[in-house]
Amino acid sequence: MTRFNTNQWLALVLALVAAAYLAMAWQIPNFPLPRPVDSDLFPKVLGISLLLLAVCLFFEKPSAVAGADEVDESSHGPLLLTPWARVVVTAIAVAAYALLLVPLGFVLASTLLCFGLTAYYGYRRHGVSLATSLGIVLALYITMTRVMDVYLPTGVLPF
Amino acid sequence: MDAFNNLMYGFGIALEPMNIAYVFAGVFAGTIIGMLPGLGPISALALMIPITFAMEPSSGLILMAGVYYGAIFGGSTSSILLNAPGVAGTVATSFDGYPLAKQGLAGKALAIAAYSSFVGGTISIVFLMLVAPLLSKVAVSFGPAEYFALMVLGLTAVVSLSDKSLVKGLIAAVIGVMISIIGIDLQTGTERFTFGSAHLLDGIDFLVVALGIFALAEVFYMLLRGGGGKEAPRNAIGSLKLSRSEVKQIAGPVSRSSVLGFFTGVLPGAGATIGSFLGYSMEKRIAKDGDTFGKGNIKGVAAPEAANNAACTGSFVPLLTLGVPGSGTTAVLLGALLVMGVTPGPMMLEQRPDVFWGVIASMYIGNIFLLVLNLPLIPLIAKILDLPRPLLLSLILIFCMVGVYGMSFSIFDLLLLLGFGLLGLGMRLFGFPAAPLILALILGNIMEESMRRALQISGGDWMTFIDKPISLSLLLIALLSLALPLLKKRRKKVM
Repeated sequence: MTRFNTNQWLALVLALVAAAYLAMAWQIPNFPLPRPVDSDLFPKVLGISLLLLAVCLFFEKPSAVAGADEVDESSHGPLLLTPWARVVVTAIAVAAYALLLVPLGFVLASTLLCFGLTAYYGYRRHGVSLATSLGIVLALYITMTRVMDVYLPTGVLPF
Repeated sequence: MDAFNNLMYGFGIALEPMNIAYVFAGVFAGTIIGMLPGLGPISALALMIPITFAMEPSSGLILMAGVYYGAIFGGSTSSILLNAPGVAGTVATSFDGYPLAKQGLAGKALAIAAYSSFVGGTISIVFLMLVAPLLSKVAVSFGPAEYFALMVLGLTAVVSLSDKSLVKGLIAAVIGVMISIIGIDLQTGTERFTFGSAHLLDGIDFLVVALGIFALAEVFYMLLRGGGGKEAPRNAIGSLKLSRSEVKQIAGPVSRSSVLGFFTGVLPGAGATIGSFLGYSMEKRIAKDGDTFGKGNIKGVAAPEAANNAACTGSFVPLLTLGVPGSGTTAVLLGALLVMGVTPGPMMLEQRPDVFWGVIASMYIGNIFLLVLNLPLIPLIAKILDLPRPLLLSLILIFCMVGVYGMSFSIFDLLLLLGFGLLGLGMRLFGFPAAPLILALILGNIMEESMRRALQISGGDWMTFIDKPISLSLLLIALLSLALPLLKKRRKKVM
């Protein structure tokens, strides 16, 4: 059995996306008054274009991606400290930040995220990290809320 | 004379104390952000949008123009000091800048970069002043069919000039347009691709996509490359002074590359990267000591620097006169303008002369600030490069999130930001260029609107795009811009 290359896998995923997109485009309701171009035409053109491009990608020979070789694939040390684990943990931390921003407040949530991730990435001078994180977050908070009149959640803190 | 009076009017606006402060802040912040490897003008501009949101449009754009210039200059600084260009437009600078730094002449290389950027920027501003009003006069006659064709050309040019796969570039562009049409169709009130979510009725804010695809994806990418614990060794800066003979040596390359850079920048899709490479290779070919290029020739720093700054100014021509950005960076600028309630285009000169001429005048001032204030501060600013990478990455994350939340106050948008960050990382790892996506995202809605208006006027006749000579020529050039790289590839294979 022939094995697919990266481009072919990507093409298959994109073709599936295009098919789903086209299915949704065909469900866009018609405008009650007749008009030369309705809301569904452009999405249909886009879906078909993506499908055709996916076919082209399927037959395109994959070339080396500039910079891809720079990805650190080494898996020395604990699993949680591998490069991919760092990406996953950061993504989870960002999602948690989004969910905790309102209940905890901007200052607390942002300082925790900044300090926590800095420590996780391997910076060991925790005092410097905490002072910098808190200083920058507070400066941002004051600029946004006092100077630019942009509301940021206060959360558990009184200000 | 008219241009002179208009420029004086622009200076009146740009020289208001607050606007001077904005130019300085913009240039300064841009230099710092541009200096950080990986963060280029697009990220810098995207990070600034929340700050400009509440500003007067002229002040906002003045700040943005400063950031743009500063980021390009900042990119040169990291190219020279670390051999790690922060911006693609300054890659050519590192060819001779880094060898100069290794010889202990980093200060000299930085000074040449600053002077050349200044001259490049100034010469090109004069061209911008002359060309832009002429072009906007022509563009007034553009109808929806011509606009549609122009936007198709803008997209295909950006796709074809990226160094990545043509098919992948087109896929990125199509996905960008797909994202842009999410929400309520303003012409019919029909919901499209909202999945029943009220959060998506207004569509996806381009800032969420821009910060996700560029800044957040860059953080993820840096983490994949090892978290950045390893700091590159930095060379000492040394003296910033230039001798008279050195000034004489760089005068020719700087003026030639400035003109070349400007016209490269005007072309959709070309911009600073191609401008700087063209400037570099032109000077290498002309120079008697061309064989010393790449080993620390000062002309090899001067030419790309003049060209990339001139190209930055040149890229403002299509943005301000046609309302069609020619690059990812100017697409972000267009997005920022739209957020501020200004729609660039041929009528902007008449309707918002304050913005148009204010920006041009502020470019002069920005260039002077870059030279007079930024250059002496470089040894100090370069200390940013010593900031521990783990702390820097966490801070970029916070800036991204406060930028998005401060604009929309929506937790949903923060989660979307994360989604686009992961999408950006995937695109980067699999070789999909991000610039076409962001350009398509900005142009998608306008493109659809132009297409539908053109078809409405013609009663649904698609020939309307071919019947009109301007529209036909633009579409043919678009087709050609896609065909040429393919032909080139085929010829290479045959050989």
